[in-house]
Amino acid sequence: MSQYAFLLDLGRCIGCQACVASCKVGNELGIGQQYIELIEKTHGEFPNLTGGWDNHRCYHCGDAACIAVCPTGSLFKEDGLTRLDRSTCSGCSYCTEACPYDIPVMWEGKSSKCDGCADTVKAGGSPWCVGTCPSMALEYGPREEIRAEAHRRADALRNRYPNAQVYGETQAGGLGMLVVMPDDPELLDIPIDPKTPFMAQAWQKIVQPASVGITIGAAVVAGAAAVVARRRHEEELDELEAAGVISGHGDEKEQEEDE
Amino acid sequence: MRRSESFEKEVGIVARVKLDITRRAFLKGGLATGGLAVMAPTASIGAVNGMLNAQDPWYREGAIETTYNVCDVCPWHCGIVVQTVNGVVRKIDGNPKDPKSRGMLCARGQGGVSFMYDPDRLQSPMIRTGERGSGQFREVTWEEALDYTAAALLDIKDKYGEESLAVFAHTSGDHWFADHFAQAWGTPNAAKPSSSLCLSPRDEAATLTYGSAVGGHEPVDWDGIQAMTLIGSHIGEDARNTVMQDFANAHARGAKVIVVDPRFSSVAAKADYWLPIKPGTDTALMLAWMNVLIAEDLYDKAYVAEWAEGFDDLAAHVAEFTPDWAAGITDLPAAQIRETAQVMGANLPRAAVIPGRHTVWYGNDSQRMRATYLVNTLLGAYGREGGMYFNKSAYLETYPHPPYTVAGSSGGCSAEPGEETAELPLGPTGKARADGVRESFMRGPTAMQELIDPMISGDPYPIKGLIAYGVNMLNSIPNPQKTIEALKALEFVVAIDVLPQEHIAWADVVLPEATYLERYEDLLTVSHRTPYIALREPAVDPLYDTKPGWWISRELGTRVGLDAFYKWENIEEYIDKRLISVGSNIEGLREEGGIITQNGKPYLEDFDGSSPFGTGSGKIQLYSQDLAEAGHEAMPVYEPVDEPPTGFFRLLYGRSPVHTFAKTQNTPVLHDIDPENEIWVNADAAEQLGVADGDYVMLENQDGARSGPVKVKATERIRRDAVYMVHGFGQNAPGLTNANGKGASDTKLQTRYKLDPISGGAGMRVNFVRLDKEGV
Repeated sequence: MSQYAFLLDLGRCIGCQACVASCKVGNELGIGQQYIELIEKTHGEFPNLTGGWDNHRCYHCGDAACIAVCPTGSLFKEDGLTRLDRSTCSGCSYCTEACPYDIPVMWEGKSSKCDGCADTVKAGGSPWCVGTCPSMALEYGPREEIRAEAHRRADALRNRYPNAQVYGETQAGGLGMLVVMPDDPELLDIPIDPKTPFMAQAWQKIVQPASVGITIGAAVVAGAAAVVARRRHEEELDELEAAGVISGHGDEKEQEEDE
Repeated sequence: MRRSESFEKEVGIVARVKLDITRRAFLKGGLATGGLAVMAPTASIGAVNGMLNAQDPWYREGAIETTYNVCDVCPWHCGIVVQTVNGVVRKIDGNPKDPKSRGMLCARGQGGVSFMYDPDRLQSPMIRTGERGSGQFREVTWEEALDYTAAALLDIKDKYGEESLAVFAHTSGDHWFADHFAQAWGTPNAAKPSSSLCLSPRDEAATLTYGSAVGGHEPVDWDGIQAMTLIGSHIGEDARNTVMQDFANAHARGAKVIVVDPRFSSVAAKADYWLPIKPGTDTALMLAWMNVLIAEDLYDKAYVAEWAEGFDDLAAHVAEFTPDWAAGITDLPAAQIRETAQVMGANLPRAAVIPGRHTVWYGNDSQRMRATYLVNTLLGAYGREGGMYFNKSAYLETYPHPPYTVAGSSGGCSAEPGEETAELPLGPTGKARADGVRESFMRGPTAMQELIDPMISGDPYPIKGLIAYGVNMLNSIPNPQKTIEALKALEFVVAIDVLPQEHIAWADVVLPEATYLERYEDLLTVSHRTPYIALREPAVDPLYDTKPGWWISRELGTRVGLDAFYKWENIEEYIDKRLISVGSNIEGLREEGGIITQNGKPYLEDFDGSSPFGTGSGKIQLYSQDLAEAGHEAMPVYEPVDEPPTGFFRLLYGRSPVHTFAKTQNTPVLHDIDPENEIWVNADAAEQLGVADGDYVMLENQDGARSGPVKVKATERIRRDAVYMVHGFGQNAPGLTNANGKGASDTKLQTRYKLDPISGGAGMRVNFVRLDKEGV
């Protein structure tokens, strides 16, 4: 099966949000629903500043934690990208917990994230964001070609930014979004070594079988059942942590509260 | 209580108006998918409002019909391809053949679908029933509205003369009103905000210096430039599609980028040099750059000798303006001033200061723009690859009509550069423009803000009627409090618009226009390196009871005795006839992909030794005899601007890449991405004031004008002496469900402006605000 990937060139991105709007219109997303969010980042003190735009959007992880935890198979791999079939999503929200990049969100009771414009590409188009980007910061194609192009761009960028690099070749099993970065990913608050908040493998083997019944119930009863499932999920995680199967779950909750 | 209620209370100076008409669909109740079903195709509204779980993506619902159009969400006017399925517009993309869009499109252009299906649109002609400003109207037929309007216009003509009708127009149909109708009717008081509220200083200074206006498309050879300097230009926030593309390519190629801005803008973050200049001191910086270029022998001597005159005067003039002198004024290190000049000099002639667009800052703006052009001349930039090329107008014959009653002077960013005559054109009763040109300012297109006073005072003669087409008057002209006085004083106001903008409530007659996606338009001719002609054809029939601007202009024209100016059978025949001159027709233009491109003459070598400079001598005027004769400085000097009073910050404003002026804040998709503006405050300054990032504050200006609540962005990205906000928010228009009362209005805090004595531009960065935590 061919592997496809996006190229995101942050040397070029100037934060104009054309991708955000094209995605919303082309995919007919609802009011309040967005697959791409641009977040301004600034470092230093006036007037010694650096800054850029984090493109907060699905990285299409090779080892996708969201797929590992999805009890209904609504999240799955195809052509190297992480697809989402909202029609079968039960709304359990496990994927929102599992994602190391904090990408999927719940929208109208179901998971919501970039699916690489699966259908548009099948219909012969390019992903909506790629087609419109006035900075030509976005490309889409076979992963190997994208990887080579990413390196060409990073090499050229090093004349201006000595620390320019390609991000995504190794992270999370290799990303379906290779990012050309002018500098270290931490400057955009992007983790060098993304970690899932808990061990997705353990989750898949131990917890998921126990919670499938509940989440199927959630799909039927919708809203209320989802809350039960969610609570159950939290309890299970705590139990697992107590048993020493996973670690850091409690820490993560505290962190969330701090924020 | 952040929104409209407290906003209403706080902005007491601007009268609160409420649109109150009988038709249910006009009101907010119709927002959800069902309420609009009677007015518009259900599927479309579901689609743009985001119906969940659509079984098929829109492009599989039926055959895709493609139409060619020119985007009208901003005045940059990208060529677009519109995709329609089952009579519903679904997606807009850049037209690959268009020299501006090249197949790509910005966020605002993408929002065009949502702009068209905005349920808040004006839907029927209306005549006022309550007091002016009350927003109370009754719906009427087009026949009644047009007859009523025509009678009122003729009454003004009979009582006061043709000149007493003012025409304010904006957006791509402006030609039908501010140019064609106004000139046929006979009023010299037609104005476009794109002149004196935007481009006038830039284009008048260019005309005085090198003999032609910069024009709609800034003629920078981005493909070859090696050192670009941006002064107060925010590429990426200012989202002109082509410029973002060109900048990205030049930057990736390694061209040096120098950004001069009190704020660390998106493009400043891409710069090799960011000069966080003290606001209002740009001319001092440019004088010092000229000093370095000349003192260090870094200017293009052969070019200056061949193409410029007045060099010795300039060299003597700038001799004292050293980087050390400028450092004390601009708050920039002298070494940085010197180094950036050296970078430009090392790269000449592939170096230029980009002229930018919105140049009405401090009232000394023509002189500042002159300084820009003088730097560019020392760099040998005009007519050189890697510098600035010469735009050429597209060739296309006009549709035959009788000679106009009065010559046009509205200017505007889409206008062809015209020659300004020494004698002002007179209207039929012998009156020239009422905006004070030749007295309070030297030259340039009609200054919109200078027509407000005559509406109130009757001096130099009464202005009694107003046609307002697509111009968001109360969110563009500074001192809107005074504009409301003028709206009260006028005898007759007709507003033609797509949306119930703030000023609509003050109109006597409201005529709802069809959007650009629902109408043919006159051909767009673009002055460019490769001049071109672009087609706008409707993707769908007009929604509701709306009509195209050209139709409204013609219906009004024929009712006031100007039918000889509208002799075409229909718009298709009009377009076809014009296209005969280039051997085509609508069908042919469609087959060409919506664009016909012509050859230009961009560089000096294309002129075979003759001068491309339209000055009297054919030389670039480093020393301007014209300015000297009119009593102005012949070469730019630095004049200090007023400092903020203690406790106040200078109010700067700019753009969001998701919004155009005050036009798109209500557009559902765009509002969803960027619903309100923020006030940028230096982080240290905010801490001293006890204000945190994300807090809401009120703003109060030096005259006591107050904004509604606005969110604080405490950031390192701005100097301590200025605050910044995106223009266009803080609208007080109850008919705009999404935009009403969101964020703060820079315009309502601009109770003052400083008139540029050369171009008539209204400098608006002369207002100061303080932050007030009370009353939020």
